[in-house]
Amino acid sequence: MSPIIGYAGMTHLGLNSVAASAAHEFEIVGFDPDPDRIAQLQKGVIHVNEPGLQDLLTAHGKRLTFSSQVESLKKCHVVYISSDVATDNEGQSDLGGIQDLIATVLPHLSPTAVLVILCQVPPGFTRNIPFSSDRLFYQVETLIFGRAVERAMSPERYIIGCDIPERDIPSSYKTFLEAFHCPILPMQYESAELAKISINCCLVGMISVANTLAELCEHIGADWQEIVPALRLDKRIGPHAYISPGLGVAGGNLERDLATVCRLAGEHGTEAGVVQAWIDNSRYRKDWVLRILHSYVLGNTSEMRLGILGLAYKEDTHSTKNSPSLALIACLHDWPIQVYDPVVSSSVLDHPSVIAAGSILDAARDVDVLVIMTPWAEFREVKPVDLRQAMKGRVIVDPFQVLSGSECTALGFQYYSLGRPLLDQVANS
Amino acid sequence: MLIHHHSKPSMPSRVVVIGAGGFVGGAIVRQMGLDNIPTVGLTRKDVDLLQPDAVDKLKGILQPTDSVVVVSAIAPAKTVTMLMDNLRMVEAVCEALASTPIHHLVYISSDAVYTDDANPVREDSPRAPTTTHGMMHAARELMLSASTAAPVVHLRPTLIYGVADPHNGYGPNRFRRQAIKGEPIQIFGEGEEQRDHVLVDDVARIAALALSHRSEGALNVVTGVSTSFKDIAEIVAKQFDGTVVSQPRPGPRPHLVHRFFDVTNTYKAFPTFRYTPLENGLELSKQGGI
Repeated sequence: MSPIIGYAGMTHLGLNSVAASAAHEFEIVGFDPDPDRIAQLQKGVIHVNEPGLQDLLTAHGKRLTFSSQVESLKKCHVVYISSDVATDNEGQSDLGGIQDLIATVLPHLSPTAVLVILCQVPPGFTRNIPFSSDRLFYQVETLIFGRAVERAMSPERYIIGCDIPERDIPSSYKTFLEAFHCPILPMQYESAELAKISINCCLVGMISVANTLAELCEHIGADWQEIVPALRLDKRIGPHAYISPGLGVAGGNLERDLATVCRLAGEHGTEAGVVQAWIDNSRYRKDWVLRILHSYVLGNTSEMRLGILGLAYKEDTHSTKNSPSLALIACLHDWPIQVYDPVVSSSVLDHPSVIAAGSILDAARDVDVLVIMTPWAEFREVKPVDLRQAMKGRVIVDPFQVLSGSECTALGFQYYSLGRPLLDQVANS
Repeated sequence: MLIHHHSKPSMPSRVVVIGAGGFVGGAIVRQMGLDNIPTVGLTRKDVDLLQPDAVDKLKGILQPTDSVVVVSAIAPAKTVTMLMDNLRMVEAVCEALASTPIHHLVYISSDAVYTDDANPVREDSPRAPTTTHGMMHAARELMLSASTAAPVVHLRPTLIYGVADPHNGYGPNRFRRQAIKGEPIQIFGEGEEQRDHVLVDDVARIAALALSHRSEGALNVVTGVSTSFKDIAEIVAKQFDGTVVSQPRPGPRPHLVHRFFDVTNTYKAFPTFRYTPLENGLELSKQGGI
C-alpha cells in the first residue's frame, strides 16, 4: 500500500515538497494552522514565487488535500514538519514557530506514524523532540530558491538523521524515499543536522574564494570570467562549483548556517575564524556596487538619477531577505531612483524619492546610471542599444554581467561588472 | 558604522572644543565658524587638563545642551610618560562628564588604534595598537564612552596634513617645507610605502557632519586612496619646481608597507561628502602656506 504523506507548514519549503511528492503519485495532506493561507491554497493561489511550482500543484491537485485542521494528519503514515524557519539580521533562527507546530501536530499523529523534521534546525534539535526515536527522523533539505521544484523532484540524495542509523527505516518512510530513486544516507541525527550546515559552508567557502579573487582581478588586470572555465575543468573543483562572484550571501539560509557554526564553535571552544571571515567577506562584497558608484560614478551632488533593475536577492524568487539591492537602495536616499523588478513590488522600499517603473526601459528612462542588481532572465533580453536610447547618461553597473560588456562598451557606456579589471572599465569611461 | 540620532542635519546649539589651540582643534573651530555654530574653543590657557582645577573649570563651562569635541592631546604619544599624561588629561574630562550631562560627544581619535596587519582597515578591524600613541587613543575611547550617557562618536583620522601642522613627520608636511626652503625632497629608499593622507579641513568637515547628525559609533576619517610617498614627493616637487632625492632608510623598511582603508561606512554615513583629493589638498596647502 502506498503511504499517505503529510506536511505541516505550507511555506516555501512545504509547498515545494508537497508538489514534488504529489507528482510522485503519493496521496498528500498539506496542513497549515493559518486558515487564510489554506483557503488560498484550496483556490489554487500560492503565495510564493517559484518557477514551475504553480503548474506542478495544478497538475497533481487531485492527490492533494490542503487543510487547516490538524486532525487531517491523522491518516498520514509519514508526517513532515516542513515550515521555513525565520532568521533575524544576524542569521539567528527563531525556532519558536516550529516548536509550536510540532507541539500542535504530535497529539494528532497516528500511533504508528513516522515524524520527519525537514526544517532548518541546529544540531541537537531533533534528538530533543519528545517522540519515539524509532519513528523520529531528520531529513536534510537542500532547497534552492528558484530551483526548488527541480531539486524536490530529483534530489541528489537523501540524508536521513536517525537515532540508530543501523536500524531499518520504517517501511512507509522507506517506500516514500525510494520512489525518488536517489541514494539514501542514514546517519545520526547530529551528523545529518551538521551535514546540511556542512553543505552550505562548502558553498560559502567557494563563493568567498570567488569573491576574494574576483576583487583582486579588478585591481591587477585579470578577468575572473576567463579563469572560471579553467577551474571548472579541474576535477577537484568541478563543473558545478559555486565560483561565480556575487554580492555576498543572501536569502537567509546560508547566513543561518554560518551563524550556527560560529555559535556552536563558541559554545564548544572550537576554532571557526574562517567562518567569521566568510561572513565578513560577504558583508564587504554586499557593498561592491555602492563602492563603485561612489568611487567612479556619483559626484558630490544629488542631481544624478539612478535606475535600478531587480529587488529580489536573486533571480526567480520573491525573497528579498538580505537583498543586496535593498541594502544599496537604503544608502541612496540622496538620489532619486527608478526601480523595476518582475516580481517584487517597490512598496518594500523605504526611500524618499522612488518611482516604481513598469518595465526595464521605464526604469532606464532618462536616468544617468543604470544598476542591474538581480540577474533575472528577463533582464538578459534587453538590448543595450535600447538602453542607450532610453537613458540620459552612459553608465551601467552590471555586477553579474547580465548584459554583454563588450556591446555596452562599444555603444559608449561606462560598464562595470564583478571580476573585470577596473582600470579597463575606468579607462573606457 | 555610525548611527545618526538626527537623520537630517540639525545645528548644535553650542559646540565646546577642548583642545582648540591645536592643529586639528583649530580647524574644527574654524569650520564651526563657517557653519555659524556658536562655539567655545578651549585652549590650554583656558583649561590645562593636567592641572588640579581642570575638572571644576570644565564643570563650570559645560551645559546639558552642549556638543563637546575632545581633541586635546600631547601627540604623538611616543613615551610612557606622554601616554600617561594623555590619559590623565582625558581622566579630567571624564570626571567632569560624569557629573555634567551633555548632548553629544565627539572624540578625535586616530587610526593608530588598529592592529598593523588590518588591511584594508575598517571600523570593525581589531583595535590592537602596537604603539603607545595608538594605545593612548584606544584607552581614551573607552574612557570617554564610559563616562557619559550622551551619544559618543569616535573619529579616527589617518595621517593628517595641512599648513598649520606643527609636526614635521615624513610625508606631505615635511616634503612641502623642504621644497619651500629650496631643498631636495628626501624620500627613504624608493618611497614605495603607500599611505592614506587626509587634509585637516576634511577632518573638520567630518566632525561638523557628525555634530549636526548627533552621530554615534566610530568612523575612520580617511580618503580611501593610498598614495606612495614617492608619488606625494613628486606632486610637491612639481608644485614648487623642486627635486626628489632618495636617501637610505634610517632603519629597516617598516613592517607595514602599504595601508588601505575601506571607506564604505563614510559613503553610508555621509553619502554626499567627498574628500579633497590629495593633489588638490596639497595645492590648497601650497596656496595657504605661501
